[in-house]
Amino acid sequence: MASHPTSSPPPFDIVQTYQRLLASDPEVTMPVAAIEALVESLAHSSASTMSETLTLVSQHTATLKQAIPNPISLSAGTDLFQRYLITTLNRSTAPTSLSPDDEFRTIRNHLLSNGRLIVENAKASREKIASIGRNFVRDGKTVLTIGGSRVVGTLLRAAAEAAGGRSNIRFRVIYVLPQNSSAHKTSAAKPQTGREDEGSGEGAAMVAMLRARGVPVATIPDSAVAYSLAKFDMVIVGAEGVVENGGIISRMGTYQIGLLAKAKGKPFYVAAESHKFVRLFPLSQYDLPIKQRVIEFRVGEDAEIESSEQMRTFDAEASGTTRTERSGSTPEDAVDYTPPELISAIVTECGVQTPSAVSEELIKIWF
Amino acid sequence: MPPTTVTVAPGLSSFLKSLKNTPVDSSIEHFIALLKRRQIRNSRPCAIATTQLLLRVVAEFKFRDVDKLLRRVREVGQRLIAAQPREMVVGNIVRRVLGLIREVAEDDAEVDTNAISDIGNSPVPLQSEFPRPTLASSMSTFSPLRYGSTSMDSSLHQSESMSDQGELPHRPPLLTSHTSYSVPNAPMVTSLFGLFSHPDSPSASSTPTGYNSPNGKGTLTAQNLERLSESTSSKANIKAEVQEGIKELMDELEQSDDLIAANALDHIHSNEIILTHSASTSVQKFLLAAAKKRKFTVVHAEAHPNDHHATHAMTLTGTKRDYDDDSDAEDRWKPLTAAGITVVMIPDSHVFAIMSRVNKVILATHTVLANGGLVAAAGARVIAKAAKVHQTPVVVVSGVYKLSPVYPFDIEELIEYGDAGNVVPYEDGDFVDKVDVDNPLYDYVPADLVDLYITNLGGHAPSYLYRIVADHYRVEDINL
Repeated sequence: MASHPTSSPPPFDIVQTYQRLLASDPEVTMPVAAIEALVESLAHSSASTMSETLTLVSQHTATLKQAIPNPISLSAGTDLFQRYLITTLNRSTAPTSLSPDDEFRTIRNHLLSNGRLIVENAKASREKIASIGRNFVRDGKTVLTIGGSRVVGTLLRAAAEAAGGRSNIRFRVIYVLPQNSSAHKTSAAKPQTGREDEGSGEGAAMVAMLRARGVPVATIPDSAVAYSLAKFDMVIVGAEGVVENGGIISRMGTYQIGLLAKAKGKPFYVAAESHKFVRLFPLSQYDLPIKQRVIEFRVGEDAEIESSEQMRTFDAEASGTTRTERSGSTPEDAVDYTPPELISAIVTECGVQTPSAVSEELIKIWF
Repeated sequence: MPPTTVTVAPGLSSFLKSLKNTPVDSSIEHFIALLKRRQIRNSRPCAIATTQLLLRVVAEFKFRDVDKLLRRVREVGQRLIAAQPREMVVGNIVRRVLGLIREVAEDDAEVDTNAISDIGNSPVPLQSEFPRPTLASSMSTFSPLRYGSTSMDSSLHQSESMSDQGELPHRPPLLTSHTSYSVPNAPMVTSLFGLFSHPDSPSASSTPTGYNSPNGKGTLTAQNLERLSESTSSKANIKAEVQEGIKELMDELEQSDDLIAANALDHIHSNEIILTHSASTSVQKFLLAAAKKRKFTVVHAEAHPNDHHATHAMTLTGTKRDYDDDSDAEDRWKPLTAAGITVVMIPDSHVFAIMSRVNKVILATHTVLANGGLVAAAGARVIAKAAKVHQTPVVVVSGVYKLSPVYPFDIEELIEYGDAGNVVPYEDGDFVDKVDVDNPLYDYVPADLVDLYITNLGGHAPSYLYRIVADHYRVEDINL
């Protein structure tokens, strides 16, 4: 395409930008980082027409999706960005008297000058979710959660801090920490890196945060969820992506918690910002557009390969390499899909919604 | 208004009569007292009384400022809701009226924005004072059922104080996202784009909202709203339009049962056995509408100990005996038996036993909640659960006015407890001494026990109710 003077010596690298953005601020989620990276890519380009811009954006999106092992969450951001550009630029019935060129420039400038604002907005929506969602946490209740979702962390913190407010809420948290990440078995273990995923390291941080605020927290392994069923009143989880039918993509283990909660009639709430809504319609676990080597059948001679591979994975982690270099199939990164019928409600910044509301929101921006 | 006997006890009819020649403020006090003493109770009487009262409030309102009107209605509404938080219909009507006022104001603003079309492009010096009156809900928390996102309020105040100082660089995006909801046909439209919104930038605040209004109806940007309060001071017709709208709301209250009944033939078929519960005019009309064409059997659970008198009266005469004598007096409904329907009255305890023979359960409701659950007369949950076990469809009949935008965070708080003397009479001293007696008036029925809601708008799945909520209530009014 006509990406003519973009021959600046250090060519813009969307993947690096994305990872830098993620690493620079632990509060930034993947979709937001992706949007930010795309905004920066706009700044580095001299695209002056709409179609140029859109081509650029879709190219960068493709590159980014290819480079990141699990691009579901970030694709929510890139899709949203793309739709935003298209819808705002396409608006032929603009009430403004601007010419299309001016219009384009206005939007471009708006985006470029407000890159930070997107992050702020995202944080504000998280706070909003927390302020709505903390109403679920009532006095004397026990909440079970999994994963290091920042939204859930904010929500529980808001609930813990509400103690000084309307009523003194005493609640307890059962925190499901993944068993296989040996480093996090004890909550005292520091998260080894500032990893950005809904990583277990953050889980430990959240446990520490809640305990510091006087909330009794128990940490249990995945396998003890069923055992603990009678001890909790509700499940609140975060999500990496909320798919079109209202189901969620979240860290491995969420689905089984959903099934167990449903079996016992416990409410299962999801706290997720609406920019995590992603246009996928998975019918089963294996329909997600990512490769996960979770179930791998092997026979005798493969076992050695497996163990050596695992060694390599751990080595890579220990040396603090970035996510890209790790294979997307490490158990810590794996996600599963929780279908909507297991979900009682999704707390977004627009309020508490039923899972069926998700498709409508998505349809509104796509059609 | 009704030609029938005038009840001596204070209630809906006496209140409505007094409304005409009492000052508004004492009428409000009167209504609050009636609510507190439970002399006006149940959804429909509460809805009618609230609507009439708000009509008076609007009519008496002296100023022409929309914001002041909104504030006034909201303030009255807060007091009414605080008086009886469990009659959620009161809050619903207040929210509907608030939404109505906003809609009228926006239609008006549409005309205005054409006149001042460049408002979005101007550098907007107005913003420094930016009162944002409609959103600032600084009122204290009256209602125990109010689960406001308080941090939203606080951030609002924060941003207000920020704007007082004239520094607006990082205002949270609440404002734009909120005003963008305000197109009634397309609420929540821009919510996904809310990430990009920036109140300070003209392009952002006008752009997405403009795109999203489906019928070209200009949504209110903050600036418009600001301008609105000035420009509309010249508009005298706003009040008249609002009053007109409230009258339409009253028509809706009156007609909702008939509109619901129009669906009856789709749901009740010949020779079916229908189970219903408690005394409800909506259900009665629904069944009667079907009875005109079809023969079926009604099994009526009597809802002992709170509603069984009304239920018996309903079965015998077609109306609740102690029903407030205003709404249905003119059309004397026949009892179902007169329409040739076999009615079997059973105690609530027989519900499970008989459920295997029932083809359909039709339930009345007290309030329908935003998550698709409902609050109905005690015993409804047992029936719904039994129906679930037998895979019998459960149809809930309810006017849209009963649909509350409040999300039930704590179900316990929704349940009202009534006179324990209904269960065990107080004369039974032994009993009263030794045993604790509870008499919950309502049951919460979760959404997954309900198969279908029939409202005056038609049939809806429980999971679709959020959409109707979004159509009828403004986001900014949900937390009064």
